[in-house]
Amino acid sequence: MTLVSQFSKAYQSNRLVRALVYGIAAAPLGYLFGRWLGGLKDFGEWNPAWPDMMAALLGVFMVGLGIGVLAVCASRKALGRQLDPEGGRPATKAQVFFYAQNGVVLLLAGVMMVTPVAVSTAFETVPPLVGSAAMVGLIALFLLQTAMNISVWIRSDELMRQAMTEVGALCFVVLQGAMFLWAAGGKLGLLPVMTLWDAVPVMMAVYLLIGFGVTWRRGLAA
Amino acid sequence: MKNRLKVLRAERDWSQADLAEALQVSRQTINALETGKYDPSLPLAFKIARLFGQPIETIFQDEA
Repeated sequence: MTLVSQFSKAYQSNRLVRALVYGIAAAPLGYLFGRWLGGLKDFGEWNPAWPDMMAALLGVFMVGLGIGVLAVCASRKALGRQLDPEGGRPATKAQVFFYAQNGVVLLLAGVMMVTPVAVSTAFETVPPLVGSAAMVGLIALFLLQTAMNISVWIRSDELMRQAMTEVGALCFVVLQGAMFLWAAGGKLGLLPVMTLWDAVPVMMAVYLLIGFGVTWRRGLAA
Repeated sequence: MKNRLKVLRAERDWSQADLAEALQVSRQTINALETGKYDPSLPLAFKIARLFGQPIETIFQDEA
């Protein structure tokens, strides 16, 4: 057995232990959040439709993920350990900026996902002024996030761009196929009609799942 | 596609991060290349060949 393979095995078991620890730590938090949501429903404070519930959960998940990434980026040493567990040298300023930008992109996506649900939940009927203000805010966040996404693309290396391209292509194939079949089923009276808002959290969930799959397949998580 | 990147790197006692820095890519890209999860673009393959001072075909071999 070579030193490299010994290190590789030790590193992999270390990753498994860390995954287990994170899982054990996250499970009670997930349980408490779910119980809180369930409690709101029981007390009649919030009785959301499934797309609203799904959008809220996805939004909170992305905000949490974004904050987690930003927290790691706050320390160059911590980010360095994530990027290069073998060497463990501190991350460069460019790396910190790049990954922090990824964190902000995730955070903004989560905020944008939650905002329509939060605003429509806060008011029985959303006043036009509030709705317009929320919409202007969403457009501003969307433009900012798009600019940051383009910046991330420009500064990514070829593997990252390949992964992003694969995620985009797979999402297009899966979602346009699913959208056509559902729309056809609806038109034929076989399936319930979905609104665009119903489709948004489904689209985001599929995007995240495909994103995790491609990241794992291309070894980006290693 | 198979490659000898890990061997060439080990011969020079370089870490994945060292090689990534020399090629101006991420360490994850080097890891994906070494584990066969990703085949490099032609420009990157030429860059790798220049860095190790060897022809591309001695570093990368088609499995077919």
